[in-house]
Amino acid sequence: MIRGFTGYIVAFFLVVAIQVLIFNNIQLSGFIVPYIYVLFLLLLPFDTPGWVLLLTGFLLGFFIDVFADTLGMHTIATTFIAFSRPYVLNLIAPREGYETGTKPRVSYYGLVWFVKYSGILVFIHHLLLFYIEVFRFGGFFSTLLRVIVSSLITLLLIIISQFFIFRK
Amino acid sequence: MRELLRFLIKYHFILLFLILEITGIVFLVQNNTYQKAQFVTITHSLAGRCAQKFAIVRDYLSLYQENRQLTEENNNLYNMVKSLVSINYGDQVYGIDTVSRLKYVYIGSRVLNNSANKQFNYITLDKGKKDGIMPDMAVVCNEGIVGVVKEVSDNFSSVISFLNRNLKLSAKLKKTGHFGSLEWTGTGHTKASLKDIPHNINVKKGDTVVTSGYSAMFPEGYMIGVVSDVELKGGNYYDIRVLLSTDFKNLRNVQVVKNIYREEQLGLENKNGND
Repeated sequence: MIRGFTGYIVAFFLVVAIQVLIFNNIQLSGFIVPYIYVLFLLLLPFDTPGWVLLLTGFLLGFFIDVFADTLGMHTIATTFIAFSRPYVLNLIAPREGYETGTKPRVSYYGLVWFVKYSGILVFIHHLLLFYIEVFRFGGFFSTLLRVIVSSLITLLLIIISQFFIFRK
Repeated sequence: MRELLRFLIKYHFILLFLILEITGIVFLVQNNTYQKAQFVTITHSLAGRCAQKFAIVRDYLSLYQENRQLTEENNNLYNMVKSLVSINYGDQVYGIDTVSRLKYVYIGSRVLNNSANKQFNYITLDKGKKDGIMPDMAVVCNEGIVGVVKEVSDNFSSVISFLNRNLKLSAKLKKTGHFGSLEWTGTGHTKASLKDIPHNINVKKGDTVVTSGYSAMFPEGYMIGVVSDVELKGGNYYDIRVLLSTDFKNLRNVQVVKNIYREEQLGLENKNGND
């Protein structure tokens, strides 16, 4: 894989392309859509500055919105998880903290940690996104069911992707 | 200033987050047709329900007016029948055979669609071929003329409204009997102009204009309107403004006029056409 800054730029567009071209067209049983593109935000290094994180989240959501013609929806959700990422990382930090030079990957902190980490963020993201999408609280529980099922599938896909991309 | 800067630096993460999030919300509200449409749907359905209720109330409130109109019409018809059925000559009473002299049959119909704000207005009626309506039949209402049937389907007919630049009628002054061509002026829904009335006759404001009956469509002497303005324009003819008696903005019940002898009359007239 290409390392460093350029690598992340390439990965950014790759993730957007994969989401827009493939996953936006997959609708499992009609209403479950996996939004795997949040993967990009999850994989940014630990020491990413806050403002970079926020701008990345904003741009990522914005790009997805532009292609899906849903201006604003993904932007709000991704900006929010970019904002909450540091807090989630603090919350589930291992006892000895994050070692310098490591990245938020399965290979460094184990599957359980990674599932917790991405599970929380993916759920927050989907929760916001689906409720903004329906834009009302009528049918609250059916939307919640969609959020939970979609989150699970997104999470599953993210974890599978980890084993494909970052093989040791 | 330094305090402000320190504040900005300290809280830049939250501040930037708020700015970006608000930008996202602005995007959402301004650009999303669904969210906008849902808002509009709710307001529209509310407005529609209100309008429906209002329409019911309005119909009910106009019952009095409609009732009076019908009574009046009924009286007129009753009087007409009475004058037709028998005429007294001293001791003798002559009955009149009303059927064999019947020339026009009226087919009552309701207006389904109507416009008065275009240059070429059309009216849709709820009767058609099945009810005996044919193209070129005249359409009138109680107050005056309405138009001429243009197209018919099985259950509907389309009428060229008099408020249509394509329609010209033959009309005459009731007082003198001189006839001319009547045409909508194209502005407003009450004005028409009567042309080809020679300047040597005496026309006054308020004179009645009626149909001439020459076209074999409208029955003779049917009310059209009254003269509102007379002008002598250069030549030998008047330019007469006529105020229409029909309220084209409020058409409901109309009658389609069927001329029983139309075919015969036109057939005869066409024989001369070749000369």
